[in-house]
Amino acid sequence: MAIVETKGLTKVYGTGETAVTALDAVDLSLDPGEFVAVMGPSGCGKSTLLNLVGGLDTPTSGTVTIDGREISQLSDDEITRLRRERIGFVFQFFNLIPVLSAVENAALPLILDRGGSARAAAKAEEWLERVGLEDRRANRPDQLSGGQQQRVAVARALVTEPALVLADEPTGNLDSKSSEEIATLLRQVSSEWGRAILMVTHDPRIAAHADRIVFMRDGRIVDDTKIAGAESARDAMERVGLL
Amino acid sequence: MSISFTLARRYMAGRKLRTALTTLAIVLGVMLIFGFNGTLPGMMEWMRKSMLASVGEVDLNVQSASSALFDQRVADKVAAVDGVAAATPVLRRNVTLPEKPDYHTTGITVIGIDPVVSPDVRSYPVAEGRMLAASDDDTNARPVAVIPASTAEKMGLAVGDELVVPAASGAMTFEVVGTLDSPVPPATDEVYVSLPLAQDMFAAPGRASAIEAAFEGGADEETVQEAVGDAVGDGYVIGSVTADSTLAAGFEVAGTIFNVLGLFALAMGGFIILNTFRTIVAERRHDIGMLRAIGASRRQILGLFLTESLVQGVLGTGLGLLAGWGFATVTAAGMSELVGDLMRIESFETSFSVSTWVLAITLGMGATVLSAILPAIAASRITPLDAMRPQLGDVYEKAATKRGWVGLALVAIAAGMLLSGNDGLIGLGGLLLLVGMSLGASAAVKPITDFFSRGIELVYRREGALARANLQRNPGRAGVTVSAVMISLALVTGIMTMTAAVVGGYAEYAEKATGTDYLVIPQGLMLSGGMVGAGPEMAEAVRSTEGVGDVATLRYAPAVVGDLTVQVVGIDAEEYAKVASFRYSEGSSDADLAKLADPDMVLANASFRAQTKTAKGDTVEVMTPEGARTFTIAGGGNDYINAKLPTVYVSQEALADLWGVTADVMVLANATEGADKAAVLQSLGATIDGFPSFKLYDALAWQQVQNDLFGQLEIVYYTLAVVLAIPSLLALLNTLAIGVLARTREIGMLRAVGATRRQVKRLVVAESFLLAAVGTAAGLVAGVPLGYVIVRSIGAVGLEFDFVWPTTGLVVTVIVGLLFAVLAAIIPARQAARLDVIRALRYE
Ligand SMILES: Nc1ncnc2c1ncn2[C@@H]1O[C@H](COP(=O)(O)OP(=O)(O)O)[C@@H](O)[C@H]1O
Ligand SMILES: [Mg+2]
Repeated sequence: MAIVETKGLTKVYGTGETAVTALDAVDLSLDPGEFVAVMGPSGCGKSTLLNLVGGLDTPTSGTVTIDGREISQLSDDEITRLRRERIGFVFQFFNLIPVLSAVENAALPLILDRGGSARAAAKAEEWLERVGLEDRRANRPDQLSGGQQQRVAVARALVTEPALVLADEPTGNLDSKSSEEIATLLRQVSSEWGRAILMVTHDPRIAAHADRIVFMRDGRIVDDTKIAGAESARDAMERVGLL
Repeated sequence: MSISFTLARRYMAGRKLRTALTTLAIVLGVMLIFGFNGTLPGMMEWMRKSMLASVGEVDLNVQSASSALFDQRVADKVAAVDGVAAATPVLRRNVTLPEKPDYHTTGITVIGIDPVVSPDVRSYPVAEGRMLAASDDDTNARPVAVIPASTAEKMGLAVGDELVVPAASGAMTFEVVGTLDSPVPPATDEVYVSLPLAQDMFAAPGRASAIEAAFEGGADEETVQEAVGDAVGDGYVIGSVTADSTLAAGFEVAGTIFNVLGLFALAMGGFIILNTFRTIVAERRHDIGMLRAIGASRRQILGLFLTESLVQGVLGTGLGLLAGWGFATVTAAGMSELVGDLMRIESFETSFSVSTWVLAITLGMGATVLSAILPAIAASRITPLDAMRPQLGDVYEKAATKRGWVGLALVAIAAGMLLSGNDGLIGLGGLLLLVGMSLGASAAVKPITDFFSRGIELVYRREGALARANLQRNPGRAGVTVSAVMISLALVTGIMTMTAAVVGGYAEYAEKATGTDYLVIPQGLMLSGGMVGAGPEMAEAVRSTEGVGDVATLRYAPAVVGDLTVQVVGIDAEEYAKVASFRYSEGSSDADLAKLADPDMVLANASFRAQTKTAKGDTVEVMTPEGARTFTIAGGGNDYINAKLPTVYVSQEALADLWGVTADVMVLANATEGADKAAVLQSLGATIDGFPSFKLYDALAWQQVQNDLFGQLEIVYYTLAVVLAIPSLLALLNTLAIGVLARTREIGMLRAVGATRRQVKRLVVAESFLLAAVGTAAGLVAGVPLGYVIVRSIGAVGLEFDFVWPTTGLVVTVIVGLLFAVLAAIIPARQAARLDVIRALRYE
């Protein structure tokens, strides 16, 4: 069964003459553990798609089903809980609370879930170790590099053992070396730890780590291709005209 | 939960200056409230002790409810009651001693006692010499007196010495025949003389101020008290002593002022906290959105901010309590030194009752948490998407515009109310005006800053324009500051307006009162409080002084109307009209004064009419020593000296009949036409020398004295006004500091592209001036009507003054406003100028 399924997902911003259709009847599904990259020109609706899937925004029409539950049926508190328990987020900016240490940031979802803070810290440390930051756990975000900050964000996204990780341009702010490291980490999240990932990116080299690339234009999916390695990714992009 | 505390602590520690300023806002208010309420009980206790001491060891005390003198034969009625062993009349009067360097006291209580019966009622342990004896009753013999040892020591007197005491007929010289070991109330000195002598001295033959009684052994106190009450009838107070309550009233007023100051400081603190939290929420928008995205519920976000306000409240309230404790301790120590020296009693201590703790903590915490609630709710409404947008939505500005319109509507309604002429509506209008202007403040920021910045841009061209842009970019925050400054300065203006009206009004009263050439008044200023009067000799002596024409006298007795203690002033209408005049209330005239010939008619001043809710033509029941009497109010008039207290004027005949008062407490005199006024003054001076408790003034000198008094009053009010403005200084400081913090990156950028430190400093100063200018302008606009409201409301309680345009007040307000702009800018401006460019650019 798919972990995420959207049907006719549509989002229109504004009304009347100024209305913008950011997303136009999108059907998309992700299998458990599948790593899907979303690509497309700026303004084509990638972030809108992610926000709707993550329950951060409500669709104009259409449905989002996560883990078999249709989220438009849920109250704000229920969606919040769903996010906390089943979805991990990695953003481009503002991922970490500046006054908290790496381990505290990573433990946040558990702490918000009223987990005992000792247990939460232990779990967070475990994940920090997995993302390779065990010696940085007491540092605050301003003492970490951009790449390290994103690793903390990944650790935080995984600490609740979610089914799905949503990442909106997680490498958009990083140099190419750090980007590569984060992409490798996400690959590991999918294949080793079995989480589904929906990731938006502009960078073909990052997208090449995914199992599948979804191409969007003007709020619609124009291509949806399984890939295996950089070669097939390049082929797919050429076909869509992205390269 | 602990994550909330961790976050609150770390966020606060990360913004030390802002946290300190916000904390200070709470500390000030809590300190005032806690400190004062911790000092007050000690003061009250001390007063209670002093009152107790003055009652002494007497079982029962009977006084007239109005504390007027009454027939001494009431003692017989008391003595006849079952269970009363002995009862004796006492006449107690305070007199002011003529200034004499070796008397280290200015006032003394003369106590007339029956030397035979009184020792059965209270004890008089003789230290040296002898106690008064029955033979000392003889008014023709050489007068003798007994004084407490402490008084003797203070005045440098010994047995056998002479003591001169002012009396109605001039002065009386006593021989001190004994000293007593009895306790003396603090701050008083006493002289015991025989009752007939005392009655003679004060021109009060056959009258007493109290009856003191002793119970029979085994008598039930309550039963006896009740029986005594029945025996003496209405108009008397049994048991408690209605001691001089002016001191108590003074403390109460001071207490109210401190509590109001504290509350006001806390209200301003609330403003500051609101401001701080709005900024915090805006600043942490991304953090909040991210937390929401990863699964924090709205309630958790709300909790996060409420926790922070709680921590802030605990910090501020805790420090405030500490500061209040320090304040109280220092005050108590200072007072003890002062009081202990002066009044020979042990020091009083601070005492913080449970209710004081509760009050201070509730108010401190309450103000903080309440002010944080709105921003906290706003924070909980932030969606994860808001966090990812780069710019703040224009939600704030839309809300500001809406509030602006509501504010404008309120101001319009308020204006209508202010012009309505109805006291209640006017009061409400004043309040509405402040609320309306506060609401409108953020909407008004743009047009007003546009206007003012023209001035500032003349001086600091580039910085001025930038400062204006900064303020207009965040009208919400600027609006809050402007409101805070406005309310403070409106109060300043209001108080100044009131001062102008009161001082101007009194000056007018004083001028009316001094249509007369000469005044002979007691050393103490007011008539009340058992001040010694003068017998007919003094007025006679004045009349027969060469060059003196018309002479009028004033007499005084206290009375009770309902629960209200009032003054009854006896005048001779015809004489009075010749030398002085009333400031008549609307609808009254000299014709009404003439009606006093009818003993059932009185003239009532505004204070009396306001407090008894009566008007011209109404009847009013006054409790006299002869029982309740009904008078008709012939008209309304105020004289200068009695304007502050509820007063009725009656004929001197009525005063003598009903109160038994024939002593003059004030003599007004005019010179005959063509007389040499200076020469008359001199010969009058010689005449008055024989009456040491009185002082002679000519119109000019007296007015001078009054003007000095007003000068002091004005200074007190002005100080109060400036103190009231201090919290708004904090608000201004807070906004500026927050502004600097919020724009760290921008300031760094300015510096990077070549702005000098001086220019950055100027930018902050210009912003401060703009905010202060807007706040001051609004404060002036709101303050004048507020002053009008205050003048009207004190008119409603009986102090009729005309509204005067408060020119000085306006100038002072403007000066205070601008001064504050400079003061508030100093710290933030230095902070901005010191910013490290590189770090500032990295700041997020
Ligand atoms: N809150 C909003 N209000 C109005 N229009 C929006 C809003 N968010 C996004 N849009 C518009 O929707 C379209 C899709 O945006 P988005 O999903 O952010 O694109 P991207 O693919 O670059 O992430 C764009 O045209 C954008 O301008
Ligand atoms: Mg996007």
